[in-house]
Amino acid sequence: MSEFKVQHRDGDGFSVLELKGYLDAHTAPDLETNLQRLLTDKKFNIVVNCRDLTYISSAGLGVFMAFIEDVRKNKGDIKLSNMSAKVYNVFDLLGFPVLYEIYKDEQEAITKFRQGRRA
Amino acid sequence: MSRLKRAIFLIVPLILLMAVFVFDVVRITVELGDSGFSLLRESAVIGAMVFLYFLLEGTGTKRPGAATKEIGRLLIIVVGTIVFIGLVQFLPGLGFSEAADTAVPQNSLTVFFSLTLSVAVAASSLVGLLTIKELVYHKRKKGTTRNFILYVTLLLLTSVFAMPMFGNDLAFLGTLGLVLSIIMIVVNSFRQNWIVFLSRREKIYCIIYSALLFAAFLALSLLLSNRTFLNKAVLFFSVPLERFVLINSMYGAVYFGMAFVTTLFHLPTAEIYERKQSELSSLHNLGRLITQVFDFKDLVNTVTKMTREVCDARSAWLELVREEKRGAAEHSEVVSRSNISEQEISAITSHPDFVLRQLVTDSRKALLIDEVGSDRRTRHIKELGFPIASLLSVPLVSHDRVIGILHATKSIEFGFDQDDTEVLTTFADQVTIAVENSRLIEQSLERERFRQELMVAQQMQKRLLPQRFPDNAAMEVAAISEPSLEVGGDYFDFVRLEHDRIGVVIGDVSGKGVSAAFYMAEVKGIFQSLSKITDSPRELLIRANQTLIESLERNAFISVLYAIFDVPKSRLTLARAGHCPMILISGEKKELIRPNGLGLGLTEGELFMTSTEERNISLKVGDLCLFYTDGITEARNAEGEEFGYERLVDLCLQIRKLPASGIQDRILSEIRAYCGKNGLNDDLTLVVVKWHGKKSEG
Repeated sequence: MSEFKVQHRDGDGFSVLELKGYLDAHTAPDLETNLQRLLTDKKFNIVVNCRDLTYISSAGLGVFMAFIEDVRKNKGDIKLSNMSAKVYNVFDLLGFPVLYEIYKDEQEAITKFRQGRRA
Repeated sequence: MSRLKRAIFLIVPLILLMAVFVFDVVRITVELGDSGFSLLRESAVIGAMVFLYFLLEGTGTKRPGAATKEIGRLLIIVVGTIVFIGLVQFLPGLGFSEAADTAVPQNSLTVFFSLTLSVAVAASSLVGLLTIKELVYHKRKKGTTRNFILYVTLLLLTSVFAMPMFGNDLAFLGTLGLVLSIIMIVVNSFRQNWIVFLSRREKIYCIIYSALLFAAFLALSLLLSNRTFLNKAVLFFSVPLERFVLINSMYGAVYFGMAFVTTLFHLPTAEIYERKQSELSSLHNLGRLITQVFDFKDLVNTVTKMTREVCDARSAWLELVREEKRGAAEHSEVVSRSNISEQEISAITSHPDFVLRQLVTDSRKALLIDEVGSDRRTRHIKELGFPIASLLSVPLVSHDRVIGILHATKSIEFGFDQDDTEVLTTFADQVTIAVENSRLIEQSLERERFRQELMVAQQMQKRLLPQRFPDNAAMEVAAISEPSLEVGGDYFDFVRLEHDRIGVVIGDVSGKGVSAAFYMAEVKGIFQSLSKITDSPRELLIRANQTLIESLERNAFISVLYAIFDVPKSRLTLARAGHCPMILISGEKKELIRPNGLGLGLTEGELFMTSTEERNISLKVGDLCLFYTDGITEARNAEGEEFGYERLVDLCLQIRKLPASGIQDRILSEIRAYCGKNGLNDDLTLVVVKWHGKKSEG
């Protein structure tokens, strides 16, 4: 099967998950584990960078759905960034842009978090 | 031996001996001189002895492990013979008249007893020889047979040379034979291997028996070698027999004397030998169990029970590594225990100082703690107050991976020796195989159960799809749904509505398998009922979302497109909940109809309502509406490139003039050709509607 990788790095007051490869029902548990760890560590400001994400299936989208409620309850957010047109289309089809903030660039998302903190 | 043979072996010597007796009675009264008669008589005696040998040879049990019994039998015979000799000694009226160097019986009664005594000692001598032969042959080595036959040959030769007819000329040969026989006696007396295989109890019996036999044979030898009544009697009966019996008695004395000493030395090791035996049989039993016990619980319980037996442990428990799905850590579970409580085990293993599991898992070798109380690795166990003084932990290793640990404990320090470790390690290997086997069987059963569940879901899903397509002259419909797994997440349905309207639903439940089939059933129910209540697709989606958000799991959602074809108004009204846009081909015009809308189950109420739109489209005759799931657009070719919307729309434009079923077939074959040998890896659903409009229009 195609590979999928999640890379995690922490910034000042936010965490970034970089997704790489093919996110479907088989690889979704990897992302789940990573998000769960962030929640356990009480890191609720999460940016998911989709620059190297080549495909996302409905199961992959479901992962975000599973966590968003808990994250927002804790005054955090999951913001998405750097999507390819193809991946964006999948998000868009389901109406995700209504539910999630999607940015062209990771830095924009981070800035958004910073502003939120100052406010 | 057949009864006839036995009868012959019994009767022939009896006749021969009677003849000898008659001859002897005559001989003591009438001087016959050294005639051919004495040669004939000697032949008769030898003949009788040969027959006696074969008669006795047939009576031995020859069963392995019956050594002690054989010796016991011999003891009874020899002691019986000696008692008989003693009794005859005191009978009145018996005696020999000494003449020159030979003693001659005084009367025929003495002749009779000479004969019976001779036969009696000959018989015990032969039984002795046969018994020793069995013992010597117990574990044959190179030369065993040769040495024994050499002894028997020398014995016979010495006896033959003693015949009176050879006179004194060959006396030196007799002496030489005697000396050589004694040498062979000593050589053959070192064959005492059979003693090793006796149990402790048997060895004790053996010591008593061989001591008594030693004494009995020694007594016989002394009686025969001095000028006693017995000596005279046998000499009168047959000089060679006297030699034969004497040498054999000496052999008996030496052999059993040796046996006595050997057994005495082996007594301390008897227990070890017995334990080895029981270990072996335990291992053997477990080997059998592997093929017999399929029930996991039974198997592991037997394992701990046998662990205690194998090394005489006070308690034992078996823990196996439980495998979780990937990502999760492995941890052990105590699957069976013997003579130790669950609380005790958990007190030991949950203690922060408990390191045995880690040590054994890392080294993959057996770990022996001789002094639990003073060993820093196990001190905590002693402190907990359990009667565990020594502990042996053995890993179960399968394919280079520790799948579990077998623990055995004793209440004394240094309770386990080297053997215990080795035996338990071997035992653990067998346990590993048994456990793996049992797991495999369980797995295949589980898989079978799962397969049957899937079959049920698959059949259920098939019934959920419409069995009949709309039968309306205004529209021509073709539809197909192909799950990639046994149970997919795709769904389509038709609803017949009032005022000559027809509803088309197409959807995709996130996830696959049994849960997807259940959601699908729910969706079908919701659409079938709501479609009768509301005329607006948007309204229907909003209500469906409200219902579904309650029952869907948080990470599950459903994308749906709902379209109503209004025949009288030639109008299509549709709303989309996150589903793939509808393709509309009208003349040369191609269009993706994509009103805004969120997937069902993503968010509740307000946001869903505000973001979901409804579209109205006027239909013209010949218009083509294509509903599909992402299995079509996301079909990949060998390079991983998706089929995509553009290709699909262009294809539709190209084949728009075909009938609905033709369009469906063409799209499917194009998709298959595009995927090539990789094949489809997602569910794929297609609903084709060709608009013919009202009859009056056409």
